[in-house]
Amino acid sequence: MLKNYFKIAIAVLKRRKFFTFISLFGISFTLSILMVATAFIDKVVNDDYPDKKRDRSLYVAHIELKGKESMNAAAPSYYFLQHYVGSLKTPVKFAISSNFNSTNTYVNNRKIVINYKYTNADYWDILEYKFSEGKAITKQQIANAERVTVISEDMKKEYFGDDSGPVVGKYLEADNIKYRICGVVKNIPITAYLFYADIYLPYTVSKIDFKSDKGYMGEFTGILLAADKSDVPKMKKEFDLMIPKLPIPDKQFDKIYSHADPYVEGYVRTGNETKSGMLYAITALSVFALLVMLLPTLNLVNINVTRIMERSSEIGVRKAFGASSQTLVYQFIVENLILTFLGGLIGIVLSVVALYFINNARLIANLELSLNFTVLFYALGICIVFGLLSGVYPAWRMSKLNVVTALKA
Amino acid sequence: MFKHLFKLIWNKKKQNSLLIAEILLSFMVMFAVFTFGVNSYRNYVTPMGIDYEHVWVINYNNSLKTTSSDSLALFYESLLRNIKSMPKVIDAGYSSNNVPFSSSHSSSGIKYDGEEFDRVNQFTVDDNYTNTLGAKMIEGRWYNKEDKAGKQRLTVINNSLKEKLFGNTTALGKYLTYGDDKAKIKIIGVVNDIKFDGDYQVAGPSMYGRADTSAYHWLSRILVKVSPDADAAFEGRLYKMMANTLKNSNIEIEHLDNKLTAYNKFTLVPLIILSIVAAFLIINVALGIFGVLWYNINKRRGEIGLRRAIGASGSSVSSQLVTEALILTTLSIIAGTFFAVQFPLLNVFDLPAGVYLTAIGLAIGFIYLVVIACSLYPGNQAAAIYPAVALHEE
Repeated sequence: MLKNYFKIAIAVLKRRKFFTFISLFGISFTLSILMVATAFIDKVVNDDYPDKKRDRSLYVAHIELKGKESMNAAAPSYYFLQHYVGSLKTPVKFAISSNFNSTNTYVNNRKIVINYKYTNADYWDILEYKFSEGKAITKQQIANAERVTVISEDMKKEYFGDDSGPVVGKYLEADNIKYRICGVVKNIPITAYLFYADIYLPYTVSKIDFKSDKGYMGEFTGILLAADKSDVPKMKKEFDLMIPKLPIPDKQFDKIYSHADPYVEGYVRTGNETKSGMLYAITALSVFALLVMLLPTLNLVNINVTRIMERSSEIGVRKAFGASSQTLVYQFIVENLILTFLGGLIGIVLSVVALYFINNARLIANLELSLNFTVLFYALGICIVFGLLSGVYPAWRMSKLNVVTALKA
Repeated sequence: MFKHLFKLIWNKKKQNSLLIAEILLSFMVMFAVFTFGVNSYRNYVTPMGIDYEHVWVINYNNSLKTTSSDSLALFYESLLRNIKSMPKVIDAGYSSNNVPFSSSHSSSGIKYDGEEFDRVNQFTVDDNYTNTLGAKMIEGRWYNKEDKAGKQRLTVINNSLKEKLFGNTTALGKYLTYGDDKAKIKIIGVVNDIKFDGDYQVAGPSMYGRADTSAYHWLSRILVKVSPDADAAFEGRLYKMMANTLKNSNIEIEHLDNKLTAYNKFTLVPLIILSIVAAFLIINVALGIFGVLWYNINKRRGEIGLRRAIGASGSSVSSQLVTEALILTTLSIIAGTFFAVQFPLLNVFDLPAGVYLTAIGLAIGFIYLVVIACSLYPGNQAAAIYPAVALHEE
């Protein structure tokens, strides 16, 4: 049966090439726009380099003090993370790193902008950076406040030139201080802002005074690692129980908010405590997808309705020989799905081309977009939705055709 | 004539309502794109208000241990003198974090004459700000050394805020307050609008407060105007000087022109993406309309043949079909304009009404053009139908 439908669908497609072209054009472009968008979101949200242990990690990147009239929100301080979050029992490891900041250095009368990040020892245990040379900063080096650094491949290229050879053991100057390079890691796009930096430094060499500064607000992020996946809810609960017990630092505030979130939830956290960032992001994305799909769908419906009228004699004959409306609707929807999948195939080719250009344009450095199985899986879903959306109404119109008038035409 | 055309459209209302919906949606999409585009263009043609070439921003943080405002002031004033005395430095001054083209913003509500105004940008700057950035006074004066001693709180506002509060009358000597705060602030000058959010965004209403000695606790930006021949070597020297003076601080030097390029990207990239998506949607719709009209003509060969047989000329047949398409478009545009005018009426997004109206006009023109372009060819095809051939088929 399906084979027959397939044959009919291909025959119909061949009949009026111009209409086929319009349909395929609309479907393939819509799908490739959505696929490029999906590839981007997938890269930003699902790429698990360098945090391979994401499924058993929670991220603390935001703290908010709220009073009747005042509000203060920022990243947490080192003191808050180390003193309060660090005392939790469930996490087996606890990475603390500063958000990246920039400084300059001047090499051979050339200016280089350097984004730096301070890290503790657990940071290098939790995150699995790929080292192209050397190794991570050790616990001992951090405890001794040694001036060592791990740099990115981009930084190596920019600072030492294209063909510098190994640079481990050489010195790099940043912020007027010379750091000995102990490792070089693969580049990370800036969209993974929790892990991105050009140079990584031990937090102990930072100029921040960790002893006297006991405020909650700072510029650090914490990553809590549970022993295994099943401990994550327990860890989250322990964190949530700890927050209300924190001493309130100032009379103008009466509540402290902070969350240990899974990666994606933390990524979309808006800072608004009353509204979930997740809900907001999903609504925005669905509205965008709907808007992009609505016009081509209407267009396709229009063309489909027109094309069905062309086939009224065929429909009339089938009806006259006893085919039910249901069978006809079913047939037409299958035909339409075949058309959308054909468009989807072209769309995949188009998106590969588009992604190639986007990657080459380097809109965001090191963000290599690609079509992987997740994206293809989403694309398949989009195809089905699209095919159903644009097929149902014309099919319904077709099934309503009166046998006599259909045969007459 | 029109009555007859309406009748023809009404007879095929199911198919036509789909077309109308499609054109309506395209109209809304074009309205959105044109609103965005017109607004960006209008902002682009207004002057920047400052001369940002060869202006550098030094980022530092106050790492001095002292809590005494006087000794801080002494330290930072001498630092500024040292910077100014360097060769190739033309002028320099302190500013709050919200220097032009930075993502840092600060705003608060003010009250004038019992009326409240939300989101007025607040800048804290020093006496050298206008000279460093090359901003011009429209009336009154900028701050000078004598303001240090005065008890009265002073402010300089920008032209946007002045027009909002005072219209054409002078702002000088008037007083305003922060929200319900009792302290009155006297306006001593009006400075020209500075597009601190880059080329494509409007310079919002702003107030420039004078940095007093206690501000040195939290100030962390220095704007430096340098001569055009200042190069990376000189920048390196300036950097070393800063790093040696503020030993416990991280130092970064940025260039305003680079910051502007980066900031413009933020506004332009969404516009470009939106335009690409819209262009594809419109091509899609245009092809669809073209196809449907073409198909309709093939179906109406008999009707057209009959008209030709009883004496209608080719051009009148062709114009009938184009007019039919235009009537459909007009119906959608009337509906679309109804939705679109809600934006200026309800003041969504806080854009001037002129932007919306221009955008509506452009969208209407654009949609008509697309529809005419798509219906001309099918119309001509219809005009070429021979009555004998068409009627013979029947």
